[in-house]
Amino acid sequence: MNDTFNITRFGWLFRKSILERPTLILGSIAATMAITFLCYAFVQATIGVERAQVVSFMAGFFIGGSLMASSVFNYFSSNASGSSFLMLPASHFEKWLCGILTAGVLFTLIFLGFYRVIDIFFVNHYRNGLDPNSPGYQNLYHSVDVFAFDNRIAQRIYLMYVNVGATMLLGSLYFKKVSYIKVALIICTFVGCTYLLNLVFITFLFKHVDAANPFDHVFLKVGNEVGLIGLPYPLDNAFHILSLYIVPAILLLVAYLRLTEKEF
Amino acid sequence: MIDISNLSFGYSNKHLLYKNLSLSIQNGNIYGLLGKNGAGKSTLLKNIAGILFPTDGNVTVDEMNPKRRNPSFLRTVYYIPEEVYVPALTIKQYLSLFAVFYPNFNVEQLHKYLKELEVEVPGKLNALSFGQQKKFIIAFGLACNTKVILMDEPTNGLDIPSKSQFRKLIASVMTEERIIFISTHQTRDLENLIDQVIIVDNGQLLLHASIEEISQKLYFETVSVIPANNKILYRENDLKGTSIVRENLTGEDSRINLEYLFNGVTAEPQLTKEIFQNN
Repeated sequence: MNDTFNITRFGWLFRKSILERPTLILGSIAATMAITFLCYAFVQATIGVERAQVVSFMAGFFIGGSLMASSVFNYFSSNASGSSFLMLPASHFEKWLCGILTAGVLFTLIFLGFYRVIDIFFVNHYRNGLDPNSPGYQNLYHSVDVFAFDNRIAQRIYLMYVNVGATMLLGSLYFKKVSYIKVALIICTFVGCTYLLNLVFITFLFKHVDAANPFDHVFLKVGNEVGLIGLPYPLDNAFHILSLYIVPAILLLVAYLRLTEKEF
Repeated sequence: MIDISNLSFGYSNKHLLYKNLSLSIQNGNIYGLLGKNGAGKSTLLKNIAGILFPTDGNVTVDEMNPKRRNPSFLRTVYYIPEEVYVPALTIKQYLSLFAVFYPNFNVEQLHKYLKELEVEVPGKLNALSFGQQKKFIIAFGLACNTKVILMDEPTNGLDIPSKSQFRKLIASVMTEERIIFISTHQTRDLENLIDQVIIVDNGQLLLHASIEEISQKLYFETVSVIPANNKILYRENDLKGTSIVRENLTGEDSRINLEYLFNGVTAEPQLTKEIFQNN
């Protein structure tokens, strides 16, 4: 058998990684589904379906996905399970790929499938609740549609997920215990510091700064007027490519190297 | 064959646990790795298993580098840590998920070993007691029929009958091709089992000798008067007199007491060296 990749062995490994810890993997998925459903139900009842779609999609995908990403390598929380994982006759590449497929592909497919089902349910529920005889029926009916997985908001959430998910996956190879919380704190600190530094830097360049999102838009407010300065297209595109492909790829590559160098 | 050449290892760069350790471990032997708590027994095993990497020097197992943890290497070695991991699975589920990775795994052997160790698994493996879980992993590891079996304190957590069953089982599975490497600080658990003794202390290899060689070089006896003109490696007063380990000058056979041997070797490393270097 090839020492780097063998499809049969990879199949055994993938099956093992899912079925060995059904409570953890299936439990994480079930928890994600519950969070998403409750979030959707609560927000649509209080604010409306459109907001509920965004909030629940973000909460479910982001929280559930990052939880899943941090748990695929959580064998290292104990010496016994850590050495068992490292000593299992499969290559580092197979183990790494298995983690990525579980957190990145399997979870995403299950989540999107589930989300589509509840979204259709809530949208239909909303539409059925409208009075067909009311004057604004058509407008209200068409004001809400199922959440498009390729819209700008969804793309933003994918971008956040690939970065946070890859960081979580990498963090679980560095921290033995409660890696999810430790990595979440690191991410929050990093995002907070970046935001503040960016704001300080921007206030040197512009006056009347209202808000400044790193690598994104700067909002200027003069009286009641609000202006927006965006990155020029080439820079914006470069940032998009960097954050969607290059940074996650680097994080995942580092995770692979960390796995090959992991001592226990 | 396991070849350890000039191995240096430390958990920090300032303090090396092993410095230039060289050791050759041959097929067809059961090795007992003896050392005090914290002497580096587990560390040495982990370096052989490839879950710790040498700071310097080389370890090879059948000419494979453990550090790479290639599947071909991992199929050759089964490592049983002191604390074992069993997931919440039934025995059937465990076998379907884990045994497939070991091409020489034999399910009949597993059931035979489980019977010999008196392990019954009515439900999920993680519901078993610690000792039963450990015995299950030992049985599974042996049934994988890997060329090398590394066991770190395998008798910890086993009750007295289980220790005896363990010794019998290990002796019965030994073949000319296999290496069984057992680390322990409980020397009595390995008596009448091992055929090679390795004693480490403070990162130094104090003794590496076969039982036969130990028997030739040392004499174990209980005396009322300590013999003069003889190198005494160890002495301990007991009810019958004084138990001593002395240099064997006559070539007579005696029953090796691993505990006394260990105490003597760790207390008198220089004298041990002198005795074992003499032909």
